[in-house]
Amino acid sequence: MIDRTAPPQPAPPRPYHFPHITRTTLPNGLRVLITENHNAPLVSLRALVRSGADHDTARTAGLASLAAEILDEGAGTRDAIQLAEAIGLLGGALGTGADWDASYVSLDVLSRNAAPSVDIFADVTARATLPEDGLERARADRLNEILQQRDEPGAIAGKRFSNLLYGSGTYGNSVVGNAESVERITIDDVRRFYAQHFIPNNSAVVVSGDLDPSQALALVEAVFGNWARGDEPPRPTVTPLHVDRSNIYVIDRPQAVQSEIRIGHIGVPRTSEDYFPLTVMNAILGGVFNSRINLNLREKHGYTYGARSTFAMRRQAGPFVVAAPVRNEVTRESVVEVLAELQRIRTGHVEDHEIDETKSYLMGVFPATVQTASDLAGRLVDMELYGLPEDYFDHYRENIAAVTKDDIANVAQKYIDPERALIVVVGNAKQIREPLGTLGYPMHELDIEGNRLAIG
Amino acid sequence: MLQIDDYRLDNGLRVVLNEDHSAPLVAVNLWYHVGSKNERAGRTGFAHLFEHMLFSGSEHVGNNEHFRYIQSVGGVLNGTTFFDRTNYYETLPSNYLALALWLESDRMGFFLPALTQEKLDIQREVVKEERRQRYDNVPYGTAFERLLNLAYDPDYSYHWPTIGSMEDLGAASLDDIRDFFATWYRPDNCVLTIVGDFNPSEAKDLVTQYFGELAPGGSFPHFTLERTHAGHERRETFPSPVQLPRLYRMYHLPKMGDADWVAADLMTTILTSDKASRLDRALVHEKQIAQDVAMYVLPTESTGILMLQATAREGVQIETIEAAVDEEVARLALGGVTDDELTRAKNRAEIEYAHQIETFETRADLIGMLATYFGDSTLVQNWLDPYRATTADDIAHVARKYLIPENRVTSLFIPEAHA
Repeated sequence: MIDRTAPPQPAPPRPYHFPHITRTTLPNGLRVLITENHNAPLVSLRALVRSGADHDTARTAGLASLAAEILDEGAGTRDAIQLAEAIGLLGGALGTGADWDASYVSLDVLSRNAAPSVDIFADVTARATLPEDGLERARADRLNEILQQRDEPGAIAGKRFSNLLYGSGTYGNSVVGNAESVERITIDDVRRFYAQHFIPNNSAVVVSGDLDPSQALALVEAVFGNWARGDEPPRPTVTPLHVDRSNIYVIDRPQAVQSEIRIGHIGVPRTSEDYFPLTVMNAILGGVFNSRINLNLREKHGYTYGARSTFAMRRQAGPFVVAAPVRNEVTRESVVEVLAELQRIRTGHVEDHEIDETKSYLMGVFPATVQTASDLAGRLVDMELYGLPEDYFDHYRENIAAVTKDDIANVAQKYIDPERALIVVVGNAKQIREPLGTLGYPMHELDIEGNRLAIG
Repeated sequence: MLQIDDYRLDNGLRVVLNEDHSAPLVAVNLWYHVGSKNERAGRTGFAHLFEHMLFSGSEHVGNNEHFRYIQSVGGVLNGTTFFDRTNYYETLPSNYLALALWLESDRMGFFLPALTQEKLDIQREVVKEERRQRYDNVPYGTAFERLLNLAYDPDYSYHWPTIGSMEDLGAASLDDIRDFFATWYRPDNCVLTIVGDFNPSEAKDLVTQYFGELAPGGSFPHFTLERTHAGHERRETFPSPVQLPRLYRMYHLPKMGDADWVAADLMTTILTSDKASRLDRALVHEKQIAQDVAMYVLPTESTGILMLQATAREGVQIETIEAAVDEEVARLALGGVTDDELTRAKNRAEIEYAHQIETFETRADLIGMLATYFGDSTLVQNWLDPYRATTADDIAHVARKYLIPENRVTSLFIPEAHA
């Protein structure tokens, strides 16, 4: 009979190595990264353009993502429908999009059709036709999406949180823009953005999957080699707003049966020298299922289906935010518990088992997060976008292992600040206004567009 | 070709091994053949609530320790519940295979001694929050529930969604949970799939050590599901706090695995997938009357389900959307599909399958499903064969046979202000 009273001892660990990356820069400045993975007959192609919604202004909020969205409305000699048909016949799935830091084109395709697919991929990236009727379609789609978000508490909370944290500058609007800015954007705005930013010396191409690296490089050179260089675009900067104490903002949704809570402040850029200690500290605080915040709110109290904390690390300092949807009756208690967890991690007191288990989790889980061609491509894109060292993923696990208790205490005190937190609650104001008022922070009420309302 | 070793322990536990050393990982996946269809009216939401309870500890594993053990060695894990089955799975560094088997066998064999009222109360609240978050507090959140209510009579247990009703969740007692466990959670109602970096003889020894001594259950309760055909379309219009009207339809199909189900799967790709697919092209790209349109089949065991939804653009009437959908469906049913359309749809099925077998976790889940529903795990090796065999005529036949008013239910979500 086997002993069930204690967990079995592990077998000796098996070695893991991040796959080899082939790197080249073409004469026109395009960076090319290639890696192999033969788990499935698939190839992942990714183009990264190092400009995204960070270039949007308050006037043109949504521009970068609209430009990315219509890359597949026509490219090379094909219109939107011909593109979709050609990709479908090759067994491919095309995606385009933008976030704060960059614009992206992705094509996952059956590896037997990799060669003809690279052609179409280059057309969409470097030879998009950006037709006017394509923008009109995308605009109508976007305006309807923005309209729908008026009923999505998570989307409302996210928008108001960003706006209160960053004002109307970079990171303060929404990547998708707002109804006024989206109405305003012209096809000339889109074409100007594309001409200025979609240039090889502002871009990288990643090929990952079931394809020989030398063949992959030859294919990329053949289709991107004559892409014309341009002037490297400027990089916008974020101007943080001054905050001297915590504030609560309530956004009324009279029909709400849950409160969407967001608590946080400005965090750090992806290039932070404290990346590894921060990653371990946040995992202990609220980054994983078994973190303090989730165990407290979900497993101890049953207030929520799930609560998380995140450092959104971007080219510049993105937000640190704790997100929790909780039932109306426990809104105040949930805010109190989250703030208490932020205070507690700042004291630097972390149990040995917490730090050991968290580091072990982050190290052990790494191979499982890079099992697919598409996962690997994503890691290579990150590497290029944030200028990570060439051997970054080879040493990722050692760098996690090196984090100490002191490092955790240090980054918690440096980057977590419950005394100057922005607290946003989207919920039933009638029910939650009074309890939240007893917390003693200045209270403000906004409508879902962010207009201030008189408290009453 | 994927190598499959499929066998049973004496207590009835079905074990499926697929060895693969491409990464130092192992996926452990258990499909219990029980889901919300095994519930009865007034006790809905049990199978899913029970899934939550199974993470709350067993005789040798403390409350929440299951998550902690797996995560602290770098594993990822979860569980899901659907009409026909409940699955539990973890992927972890391959040298910890024994840990996963210890945890899974403890909750299969030694769950009841650790069950307490307090744990039940907490998880009941968590599940209620899950219901609020996913169903009640989001636009269109109750659409699937409403379609099921229309599509099935109350005695057919696809009538309610797995999340269950708030009222029934509130009524769940400790005895209900005990009964549910004793009836369904047993080796002879489970498929254990292991995929990844292991030595087969060592893995088999471990499986026998941890699961071999667990007792099979008694006889299963008598359980049959017979769907009655309404013979006409059931429809409703539902004013709701949404900005845009949305058409929801559910069509009845033969169950998963039937040749018509496969043809229907390909048909949904031809109708809605990319910009060149028919409904996307007509409603979104050309007429620009719809915000989005989607059709898909669900992987269900007892009867087949085809879902359709289409959201109207602001200012467009839901009747306009419904007429445009019907026009395209009729065009397909009468005129058939082109060879190119069929090739594109088959390519997409091939890509989806490739993605599914690409990771140990998703491959193990597919194998578990095939062993549970069809009793044949080797179907994973030729999963695409019936797709490859489907002809353009098959697609047109399926459209004519199933995409008809008598075979569907319709729920129209319209903005409250317009009601």
